[in-house]
Amino acid sequence: MTRVLLVDDHPMIGAALDMLLRGTAYELLGRSRSVGEAGRDIARLKPDLILLDVNLPDGSGLDVLRKVARMRSRPRVILLTAGMDEAQLLAAADLEPQGMVLKTSDPSLLTECIDAVAAGKRWIDPEIADRTRRAQERADSAPALTRRERELIELVRQGLRNRDIAAELGVTEGTVKVYLHAIFDKLQVENRTELALRAAQLISR
Amino acid sequence: MEQLATLRGLFKFHSGRVISLGRVMLAITLFLIVMVGRSRPELTQTDPFLVAYALGALVIAAATWKNWWLDARLATLTHGLDMAAFTAIAFSSTATSSPFILFFILPLLSAAVRWSWRETAVTAAVLIALFMIGGYLLSGAEVFDSQRFVLRAANLVILTLLLIWFGVHQRFARTFLRVEDFDSAIREGENPLAQSLGFAMRASQAAGGALIVGAVGEDACDGFVVQGDSGRNFSAERALVRRFQDGGDIALLFDVPAGRALTRQPGGRFHFLASLAALDLVEAQGLGLTKGLIAEVSTGTNHGWLALWDVPDLSTDFLDFGRELAGAVGALLDRFALFDAMEAGAAVRVRLSLARDVHDSIVQFLAGSAIRIEAIKRAASSGAMVESDLDELKRLFVEEQGEIRGFVMALRQHRDLELAEAVAELRALAERLGQQWSVDCRVSADGDEVPIPIRLQLDLQQLLREAVANAVRHGGADRIDVGLSVANDQVELSVVDNGSGFANGKDGRVDAEPWSLKERVERAHGSLKLRSVPGATNVLISLPLKRAAA
Repeated sequence: MTRVLLVDDHPMIGAALDMLLRGTAYELLGRSRSVGEAGRDIARLKPDLILLDVNLPDGSGLDVLRKVARMRSRPRVILLTAGMDEAQLLAAADLEPQGMVLKTSDPSLLTECIDAVAAGKRWIDPEIADRTRRAQERADSAPALTRRERELIELVRQGLRNRDIAAELGVTEGTVKVYLHAIFDKLQVENRTELALRAAQLISR
Repeated sequence: MEQLATLRGLFKFHSGRVISLGRVMLAITLFLIVMVGRSRPELTQTDPFLVAYALGALVIAAATWKNWWLDARLATLTHGLDMAAFTAIAFSSTATSSPFILFFILPLLSAAVRWSWRETAVTAAVLIALFMIGGYLLSGAEVFDSQRFVLRAANLVILTLLLIWFGVHQRFARTFLRVEDFDSAIREGENPLAQSLGFAMRASQAAGGALIVGAVGEDACDGFVVQGDSGRNFSAERALVRRFQDGGDIALLFDVPAGRALTRQPGGRFHFLASLAALDLVEAQGLGLTKGLIAEVSTGTNHGWLALWDVPDLSTDFLDFGRELAGAVGALLDRFALFDAMEAGAAVRVRLSLARDVHDSIVQFLAGSAIRIEAIKRAASSGAMVESDLDELKRLFVEEQGEIRGFVMALRQHRDLELAEAVAELRALAERLGQQWSVDCRVSADGDEVPIPIRLQLDLQQLLREAVANAVRHGGADRIDVGLSVANDQVELSVVDNGSGFANGKDGRVDAEPWSLKERVERAHGSLKLRSVPGATNVLISLPLKRAAA
């Protein structure tokens, strides 16, 4: 019997996986609804396999994955997600979980993935593999943010006006505008408000 | 009252006029006093000077009354004349009734009003030096009263200091515009350029005007022009005003037919130049500019020009007024830009928030349903009875359909909900949740009738779903009382259940936290308090009304 822990905060997914694993070679030990709960439950229940959602209420499932990667006897992990942005896809690819599957894919792929990972193989959803490859190509070809552009994004995030940013960086307002438009194009954001709201995620690329 | 308003109109923004009139009154008064106080009718040697000064003052007042160019051009000459008058009077009168102090004040006041503290100080230094020289020259005479001389010299120094202070502050102490003027200028949804120009035209009583604004460092601008009763948008490819001086925002009086323009240098002195040197005459002609005022407008990100023409009774004071008006127009444009940014920010927040709601509810539900169907299919293929599983799935679909319908209806609303409508929707949701979780869930409400923004209503609904799910799943509650109240621009949602509650510390303090609730409350810029003892758990959520409206 393979002992499985589900880390997902959505009740519908919990109930569905409970049904799916019922009467199979997998035992669902329980469900953790947050990063904090997952840490405690993994230590307490010592599962063989973790089905891990990426977006959790108190943080990212990728943080749980990083912790698991540092464990001595580490359980196998399948990332189970309804959608990841490109930054998350690339970060997940770096962490190399044993399985990655989209909740929105055909559920038969989920069972295929669970069976493969439980058998010691690596199984990645074809759609995730394709999106990761394209994200990697874009990241390789896209010009990286310069130090000055990162500084400017940080100042926009703090709510400074162009005039104040110009004073802070020792350039003219016109230069700030030129920089901003270059950043909008590079990061494909529409305006400074969106830039400010997504700044933390964009700078971390 | 009408006469008072007419009188005010005559002298408002006309300090040159006030100085000229003061000079005339002083000269005539002095002449009359000298004539009436004389015991014998023959002429003295000072009489021709007094007559010439009075006549000169009258001619200057008449010539400059409606002519800003001549007023500025003659300013230095009349200043010299006033100083000469002081010198003559100080030399020729030593009696206790000497009016020389008034002739000391006039040029000082005039310098302070027209120019700056520097000119005021130089004028005072020259006048005091002349007074001292006069005193020195008279010291040989028997009638010299040294005590009175020292007293008068001290008076002159004190007056000088006061007027220099006035000269320092009058450059930036003029506040022609009030905050109320400012706020009343903004009407939602109308062209910001047209509104800002209309504000400037009303303040200056101009019959025509143009406001041209573009990115800093670029000549291409967008503009709005009002000629007569009609206004129109236009684009300009060339700068209207030539860069003829560095430093300081420019305000310029111009008279194109006469080929004249007048501005102030940063130090406050007048700067005379040809209109050709100041303006691009092709652009000016295109806008119909002939005589009027142009002032430089700066906003947080843009730069441009405010042009006003057909301004009644234009005077040199309009150089300062124009600069202040342009500053106000720049601030108005900034305010419009701020409103736009706030609207864009609110739209982005709503977009991201809706995306998250759809992801958290609909996408997750459908994903879970697909997995359930897969499980049922497998169970059926192995011969298990699946009818109850299918019934359960059907029930979940019907419920979710109701949720989605409520969500879409809220989005379709073109207006905020009244509190009663919001409560009715929450009651309907509570009933559905009660059936779903087999729990008695009731909603009560009190508070003033206020509009509830749709974003806030969606948050309230989602918070209620999560609070009920928590109460039943974690606490095993079978009774949930929901209270909704509005006070001090805050909406408070109280959820009390009879379950076993969260993990507790002492005195109802809660060690575990409802993460999903907390995260949603933080996104809505609200606060969450939780008290939990076995048999009574109270989640108290406070959300700001105004933030949601923005």
